[in-house]
Amino acid sequence: MFLSELSTIAGVSGNESKVRDFIKKTIENKVDELYEDKMGNLIALKKSKTQSSKGRFAFFAHMDEVGFMVTRINEDGKLSIHPVGGVDARLLPGKRLKIGEKGTPGVVGLKAIHLQDNLDNVPSYQSLKVDIGVNKKSEAEKLVSVGDYAIFDVPFEEYSKHLIGKAFDDRGGCSLMMDLIFEDLKLPFDVYFAFVVQEEIGLRGSGVAAEEIKPDIAIVLETTTAGDNPELEEYKWATHIGDGPAITFMHRGYVVNKKVYEWIVDTAEKKGIKYQLKRRTAGGTDALSVSKRLFGIPAGVVSIPCRYIHSPSSVMYKDDYFDTLNLLKALLEEGEVILS
Amino acid sequence: MKDIIKTLTEISSPSGREDTIAEKIVEILDGNFDEYWRDKLGNLIVLKKGKTGKKVLLDAHMDEIGVVVTNIDENGFLRIEAVGGVNPYTLVGSRVRFQNNVVGVIGIEGESFRSSRENMKNLSFDVLFVDIGAKNKEDALKKVKIGSFGTYDASFHDLGDKLVSKAMDDRIGCAVMVQLLKELEEPLNDVYCVFAVQEEIGLVGATVAGYDIEPDVVIAIDVTAHGDTPKALKRIPMKLGDGPALKVMDAYSISDRKVLEFLEELAKKENIPYQIEILPFGGTDAAAYQRLKAGVPSATVSIVTRYVHTPSEMVDYNDVLNTVKLLKSFVNSEFLF
Repeated sequence: MFLSELSTIAGVSGNESKVRDFIKKTIENKVDELYEDKMGNLIALKKSKTQSSKGRFAFFAHMDEVGFMVTRINEDGKLSIHPVGGVDARLLPGKRLKIGEKGTPGVVGLKAIHLQDNLDNVPSYQSLKVDIGVNKKSEAEKLVSVGDYAIFDVPFEEYSKHLIGKAFDDRGGCSLMMDLIFEDLKLPFDVYFAFVVQEEIGLRGSGVAAEEIKPDIAIVLETTTAGDNPELEEYKWATHIGDGPAITFMHRGYVVNKKVYEWIVDTAEKKGIKYQLKRRTAGGTDALSVSKRLFGIPAGVVSIPCRYIHSPSSVMYKDDYFDTLNLLKALLEEGEVILS
Repeated sequence: MKDIIKTLTEISSPSGREDTIAEKIVEILDGNFDEYWRDKLGNLIVLKKGKTGKKVLLDAHMDEIGVVVTNIDENGFLRIEAVGGVNPYTLVGSRVRFQNNVVGVIGIEGESFRSSRENMKNLSFDVLFVDIGAKNKEDALKKVKIGSFGTYDASFHDLGDKLVSKAMDDRIGCAVMVQLLKELEEPLNDVYCVFAVQEEIGLVGATVAGYDIEPDVVIAIDVTAHGDTPKALKRIPMKLGDGPALKVMDAYSISDRKVLEFLEELAKKENIPYQIEILPFGGTDAAAYQRLKAGVPSATVSIVTRYVHTPSEMVDYNDVLNTVKLLKSFVNSEFLF
């Protein structure tokens, strides 16, 4: 598992190079081919030794995470920011950020509770300002520039079986692909691993990677919302932590190809691997963009359930991660069935 | 042709679950084609070869809007979400039918008169449930699963000129293509009829169906809105019975000018009634074909339909017959697209 390393790297959509470099360096001796495309997607190939099944199989996971961009440096040295991808503005007041390549520390300002007369006010990006400890525009300009990316400054932590950190969406998927690359699996067919860019701002990288790889079948690996909050009735939960990998039958804009969906479910059943179905259809994944490329690429979606995604404190249950990995290994061993 | 419309509309095949309708279409076609195949995403493609080598692609989507089970509670009640544009108000008091023919009644939460009124006022899928008459969860699981797909439970009615059914959108387009294939002896141009999948949730099938075909021209056949009922949308001129509607524009595409003018001239020449359509919202598969590879001249011929996306969509039979006539003439025309 590479989540502890991957989680803390800064890689907001459009600026994935550090994530890409880490993955590249780690897997380069374990794959048969490795290249970066024009858009920044990193594509790895593990060749089958037996070639007992023709066809190409591809996994997709996105390297980018949600974050922020500095849009303006104000006269008082405070920074205005805009979200890159979906981040709830209510999360920000009082949080620490790391800004730009140098990781300049900043704090999102707020009015102390002593001075608040109405605690129902909801913050918006228009009103939020980041404090980097200077009082003049000219001083701020020495530390940051307009266009700099920012991320939440939080560590990766582990307690009992829970993992906590930022960017699990979708470094969890990236870590799964890296683990699969490191496993010594008897692949019946060639397997491509696409670490893609710019998912969070509109599934922009995956389609390009699909066009290059031309897979016959694809599986998108995601970290998906749990939504199993205590204030919600159980029938409103999307997934539940601890119940194993989540298999998607439909999401925004795409009903998962029936053959691929049933193959994933049947494999989990047959191998006795714990799994759950994703029980909300909102939100989309790269399966939407991959399936619509070329002559049509049947794409499935398998996700690690995760609480509080797109926040500084995503929570993942370790067993879910390894159950997901086991399901993927089983799929590779059984893949012949669906590719033939 | 009414029997074909009845058969096709009564089948339950929502987006992503089109196998039943695809098999039925092949069966009804009864060999009236040179070749047929299902592509990787499940689009059914039927080819009738012509003489010129020019390729005309006709498209109608075979999926319909529906629902999918997302949860089953301890007492055997189901929760559902929409597959495509299902308005929750059309579900209240009605029934859904799952693909294995299990029927369920739609219920709505309400713990007091006030909350019932509130739920009705701001209706969402969150307060709706489906009652399939199960004793408990275990009993329910014998009939449906999480991930089971269903559609409105509604039947076909022949009102004379007017026909009513669920899923006229877009089985009426499918019926037009089926009838056309049955009537065509040897067309002038190659005719590829694409019965596309997953239109209702985002033109999924049509985005890829033309990739290997590389058509010279595409006509999508779909339903469109009407303006001829009491206080209907007043900026929309389309009427049932005024003939096939030649679409100038909707929210997703502008029909290729040359194709549109060609269709209009053809209708005049053949004395086929037609009307001009402009729809300020919505879209058809034409939008996907238009942007395929380096682009394909595409247009939409619509069948004006009342009460679209309800269990009772209404079309005029003469419009349907005239659409078949117009398209038959089109695929037998020489053109320079």
